[in-house]
Amino acid sequence: MEYFLNQLVNGISQGAIYALMAISYSVVVGVTGLITFTHGEVIMIGAFASFYIFQFVGNNLILGFVASFIASWLIGMVIYYVCYNRFFESPSHISLICTIGISMLIKNLAQIYFGPNQKPMLNVIDNKVFRIGVLQISMIQIIIVITVIVLAGILSFFINKTRWGIKLRTVSQDKKAASLMGVNVSRTAMIGNCIGCGLAGISGMLISVYYQTLQATMGGSLGMKAFSSSVLGGLTDTRFSALGGLAIGIIENLGIAISSASFRDIFAFGFLILILIIRPEGFATKKGARP
Amino acid sequence: MNELFSKIKIFYEKHKLISFGIGLALLLAIPALFPKSYIMGIIDRILLYALLAGGLNVINGYSSQFCIGYAAFYCIGAYTEAIMSLRLNFNFWILLPISGIFAATAGLLVCLPTLKLKGKYLSIVTLGFSEIIRLIALNWSGLTGGPMGLKGIPVPNFFGIKIKSSISYYYIFLGLVIIFLFATSRVIKSKIGRAWLSIREDELAARSLGVETSKYKALNFMYGAFWAGVAGAAYAPYTRYIDSTFFTLDEGFNILSMVIIGGMGTLIGPVAGSIVVNLLTELLRPISEYRMVAYAILIIVMMWLRPQGLFGASNSILSGGKIKKKEERRKKKEVVV
Repeated sequence: MEYFLNQLVNGISQGAIYALMAISYSVVVGVTGLITFTHGEVIMIGAFASFYIFQFVGNNLILGFVASFIASWLIGMVIYYVCYNRFFESPSHISLICTIGISMLIKNLAQIYFGPNQKPMLNVIDNKVFRIGVLQISMIQIIIVITVIVLAGILSFFINKTRWGIKLRTVSQDKKAASLMGVNVSRTAMIGNCIGCGLAGISGMLISVYYQTLQATMGGSLGMKAFSSSVLGGLTDTRFSALGGLAIGIIENLGIAISSASFRDIFAFGFLILILIIRPEGFATKKGARP
Repeated sequence: MNELFSKIKIFYEKHKLISFGIGLALLLAIPALFPKSYIMGIIDRILLYALLAGGLNVINGYSSQFCIGYAAFYCIGAYTEAIMSLRLNFNFWILLPISGIFAATAGLLVCLPTLKLKGKYLSIVTLGFSEIIRLIALNWSGLTGGPMGLKGIPVPNFFGIKIKSSISYYYIFLGLVIIFLFATSRVIKSKIGRAWLSIREDELAARSLGVETSKYKALNFMYGAFWAGVAGAAYAPYTRYIDSTFFTLDEGFNILSMVIIGGMGTLIGPVAGSIVVNLLTELLRPISEYRMVAYAILIIVMMWLRPQGLFGASNSILSGGKIKKKEERRKKKEVVV
């Protein structure tokens, strides 16, 4: 029982990271209206940016956040101009194939320049363990959960209250109508895509701090988990995506407790299949650009 | 050069059987031209990947579905052949269709949850499925040998002749590719094939004209997966050793890049893609770590300039409406003149 409770705590903190990934995925898909396969690679770039900052500049957590956000923002710009900008009007499989190509490109270049092996992440956070009854909660887990909640709050404020957020929502609902209302669609979609990518980069940094390892090929399964959790919200709703991420984190850690750790990725896949069978359009009622 | 091509075309249209015979004789004579087993190995790879890319082209090019984790079905075929021939001593020739049927069943299971959805859900599900199959092959040590792989897969027997060298495998792969091309060309011309094409062009219109889209999409996916299983079954005794590292996601991307570069929606496209990509692999051997980078750049360039691929179906939705734009431009010019 004790073990299960601790796995639950691990699951919640890991699920918080997945939730951030899922939120960023649904922001990207919601704004551009096209599915992306590059998300895992963006996450990986964010992790590596913070890794090199920690190594060469110093153990500063805030600096790591900024670095991973900026690096993945820049990658997001590249992705936008290669995959989306020309292809909003074309059949959607063209941009899909483009994102696959970019994802292959980033992954293999990263394997060449960062090295194919696993790297140890530096110990940025002073790892205290608090004991509450039988529960063990580490400092890293608390920081992760707080970071994710704060970032989700900022994003929600940005989307719902600011002028830029209104523009993003109009673009995500109808591109033609938005351009008639005087919104610069191309620029707004780029910024929305880049915000999603930046958040994904931060989640990559968080997960590499949490596991204390990072690898150039880590993106594949993480991208799939981001997709699986955002299916819960019909791929575009951020709140249900976050819920899905949390659910996947908890299911995964409880599942590992029952079986072995080598089957970690199977649970996310099972969750995806389950949602697709029960309610493929997602639980959200929001009307947006459904891909 | 163009005159030569047009002469060949006229000859082909006049004497179809004779030209098929000449082509077949040329293909059968290739091993005599290249006695070195190294070159024959490359040609074997080209034929194997032509089969795989052709099967993937049935899914990606002939219906609007988009499969990414094609390596999973290849993996299932190879492991079925290896396990059945090692444990049960089944004959290679019987195992070819059996592995194909196993892979097709897996394909049905994969596409069932996504049949009523748009194609992108299927692509993510296949992506995940590819990873899952690799994980199962890696971790189920009792059946698949785990990380050690399966060794000593028995070689096939053709009327008493043991097929060992890459030259004799050339004939097996060639036979399979010819059977594949013939069967697929027949299927595409049948009612099923026309249903696939109509789904590719516009699924909603196809459904409103009375095409049962779910059924035909499932059939399409199973047909594509079947050929991956057959290719896997032919590949397992060729290397005589398989393990889970042969069937990673990168392998799936490799096959996908052949289909995209060679051309989607035609029979000749994947074969051309297999030739181009495999020759490129041989050329890039000194810098082999940049191989996938080169494929990725080729894919992006292809999407920007020629979305249907080198020899793809240019008058379809795969070309992304570029043809239309060109025609409109020409019309405008004519009006101006």
